[in-house]
Amino acid sequence: MFGVEQHRDADANQGQPDFEQVFLPHLDAAYNLARWLLRNDQDAEDAVQEAYMRAYKAFARFRGGDGKAWFMIILRNVCYTMIKKLRSHETPEPFDEEIHQTVGESEMQEAFRQKANAESLHISLEKLPDEFREIIVLHDLEGLAYKEIAAVVGIPIGTVMSRLARARGRLRAEIVASNAKESLS
Amino acid sequence: MNHDEAARLLGPYQDGELDLTTCLKLEEHLAGCPSCQQKLAGEQDLVGFIQSETPRFAASPFLKTRIQAALREEKSASATIPWWKQFSSVWIYFGSVGTAALLVILAVGLFATQGIPVLDQEAVANHVRSLQVNHLMDVASTDQHTVKPWFAGKLDYSPQVVDLASSGYPLIGGRLDVLDHRNVAAIIYQRRKHYINLFIWPSETESLHGQLYNLNGYHALGWTKSGMNYLAVSELGEKELREFVQMIQDQTVDARPGE
Repeated sequence: MFGVEQHRDADANQGQPDFEQVFLPHLDAAYNLARWLLRNDQDAEDAVQEAYMRAYKAFARFRGGDGKAWFMIILRNVCYTMIKKLRSHETPEPFDEEIHQTVGESEMQEAFRQKANAESLHISLEKLPDEFREIIVLHDLEGLAYKEIAAVVGIPIGTVMSRLARARGRLRAEIVASNAKESLS
Repeated sequence: MNHDEAARLLGPYQDGELDLTTCLKLEEHLAGCPSCQQKLAGEQDLVGFIQSETPRFAASPFLKTRIQAALREEKSASATIPWWKQFSSVWIYFGSVGTAALLVILAVGLFATQGIPVLDQEAVANHVRSLQVNHLMDVASTDQHTVKPWFAGKLDYSPQVVDLASSGYPLIGGRLDVLDHRNVAAIIYQRRKHYINLFIWPSETESLHGQLYNLNGYHALGWTKSGMNYLAVSELGEKELREFVQMIQDQTVDARPGE
């Protein structure tokens, strides 16, 4: 009757904004996150399609606002459900943060410059725990602001900040420790 | 700002996530701290490298086609089930005895948030968050001539800031916030131990109609005046919030600034 609802009626198509118009533009962002979380094309495609179906069924509850965040929340849930099924038998590789942190900052930077290349980056990012990989993808690749990430992941902004810092620190340590070819530069 | 705090804020600083005050304090510390400078340089190296070298996977065109086809199927499937079939399956699912009671419970649950526009829900969430995370204000000042210029350069419009200290609702500061996809000004007022967030932004696609909503004990009241939307949110009682809104409405000048 009031405010937003009227606004919704204005751009409505038979009482509802068009689902595909609102959500299909986020297909690439959704696929990128799913692909990095699930680590293979087939699973990522299945997850994205499943997320679109769920979003479509829940569309009546979508009341305008940030469609991207709304959809990414659904997609993320689908991905984590799949991860639980797919990797129930895997044990995560242990990682000793202590060892990597004993090196000084300038040595670390030097080592990073030597090891940093597309290959070591890719391998190291895939090795990160899901919650770290996810936050790097959302922020550094998809360009979501802290506040948007807080909404998608469901954590306070302060946690976004500290988690992103830890994720980056750990990614750098993984790159430095990686066995990938050293870059020539 | 001490060294540990500064070191912790280097990431958000680089990401452009710090508010102005913190940003200035951090830069002050950075200027005299080679260790933080080095750390920041390392951070910039790393993030620049991540952003330029990480492959961003794009969805194949087939996936899009596949999803569109599945959506079409879903649409036609839900459209062709006759109403009596939908009805009977629901009936069988719930059983006959508890159905009436269940429906009553469901209806009550639904109506609790139904009818509250998402904008007001979002504004209430922003209000709650502003109180939770110790981030009520970016600029703390009881002077409207400090708060108003603070928004210059941060917003593409200039909100009117009025002080109601003499009426018992002192202005205490301002903050940038996000509502409905855009940056908005949040002006913060205090009433005893309670706070009021007054969100102000240009009315472009919608106007608000002075409806008061109650969401989990928070009240939200929005209106549009002279091309600007105003949305006041507080845990204050309905009567006081209405009084506050009336005073703001009386004191905001009836002309669109900057035009």
